[in-house]
Amino acid sequence: MNPLTFFWLFLKASLLSTGGLGNLPFLHSDLIGLGWARETDFVTAIAVGQVSPGPSGLWSISLGYLTYGWLGAALALVALSIPPLLILGVAAFFNRLETNPLVQDFVRGLALGIVGLTLTVSLGLASSSVVDLGGVVIAVAALGLAVSKKAPIILILVLAALAGLVLYGM
Amino acid sequence: MSQPISSSLLKHRPRLRDLFITWLALGIQSFGGGSSTLILIHQACVQRGWVDEDEFVRLWALVQIAPGVNLVKLTLLIGHRLRGWPGLIAAGAGLLLPSAAVTVLMTAGFTVIQSQPLVRAAMRGVLPATIGLSLAMGVQMAQPLISRAYKEGTSRLAAHLVILAAAALLMAFNGVSPVVVLLAAGGAAVLLLAVIPVKKKPPAEEGAP
Repeated sequence: MNPLTFFWLFLKASLLSTGGLGNLPFLHSDLIGLGWARETDFVTAIAVGQVSPGPSGLWSISLGYLTYGWLGAALALVALSIPPLLILGVAAFFNRLETNPLVQDFVRGLALGIVGLTLTVSLGLASSSVVDLGGVVIAVAALGLAVSKKAPIILILVLAALAGLVLYGM
Repeated sequence: MSQPISSSLLKHRPRLRDLFITWLALGIQSFGGGSSTLILIHQACVQRGWVDEDEFVRLWALVQIAPGVNLVKLTLLIGHRLRGWPGLIAAGAGLLLPSAAVTVLMTAGFTVIQSQPLVRAAMRGVLPATIGLSLAMGVQMAQPLISRAYKEGTSRLAAHLVILAAAALLMAFNGVSPVVVLLAAGGAAVLLLAVIPVKKKPPAEEGAP
């Protein structure tokens, strides 16, 4: 394995994609093609990204570790830190245009779109992680507590973990 | 009229150390992947008055159409707005360093962790909660948008709701890219709001409800 090529493949995948798993198709075809990664590495890395703290997009750090050890993890971390800097340019571009009413309406539409996406993605995830009555109760209780702003998020998560232990661990 | 993204009135200009520590805490606390991270960032920033609800939605929307991991982009953008480049580095390092380290450790011990029945049981509780939290965030993000549209008249409100629902439905089809959905929603807003007039003149400043 060549560290520079390894770094470039991770950087390229992040530059050409948006979102946490958008880089998956690129990394998959490149690393499998070179024989640098196995299918199980991808499955494990994505699973770790789902449960570990921070963005799910950190899954590529897990993949870096599985395929190239600590050096791979470090290279993957640097590679995923660089492309997000481009957001500053995008934001500056929008700032310059935003007194234009058409641009304001466009940004409004973007905001409405992201709310719609949030709702759909949440419900989509529910199909795999809310599988019984206990799950429904936990989800609804978390929704209620969060909307009422009665409890901090981290407390809700801790309570949910305890509920999981009581419901499924005993 | 919406407030411009650049000219938010910052109630607090946080010290770099506070910025770093806040994001460090966010990065470590947010077990359960991206949705809990986003929810925690949302809560932390709105509570501290770093961004208001309305701005948060627009920043989060803007972030979707640039390359890279969305939460990293959001973190860098907010850090940069609060304290310039040092703020960007403080927030980014706070988010990434601890969570990247934990991610590697969890990868190394994944087979062990995965087989722990207690860990599995706790995760079975946490995952449904993140769904509820994520829906709650959707509701909170929608509030300023919808209340502004409400003040602009019934037909404008209807147009907003149609765009929101259409984006949600379009996203439900597998394989439709979020970027495409967002650009379509933006385009639809430009067209619909151009033909539907504002019923009464909205007050000059109306951010949060």
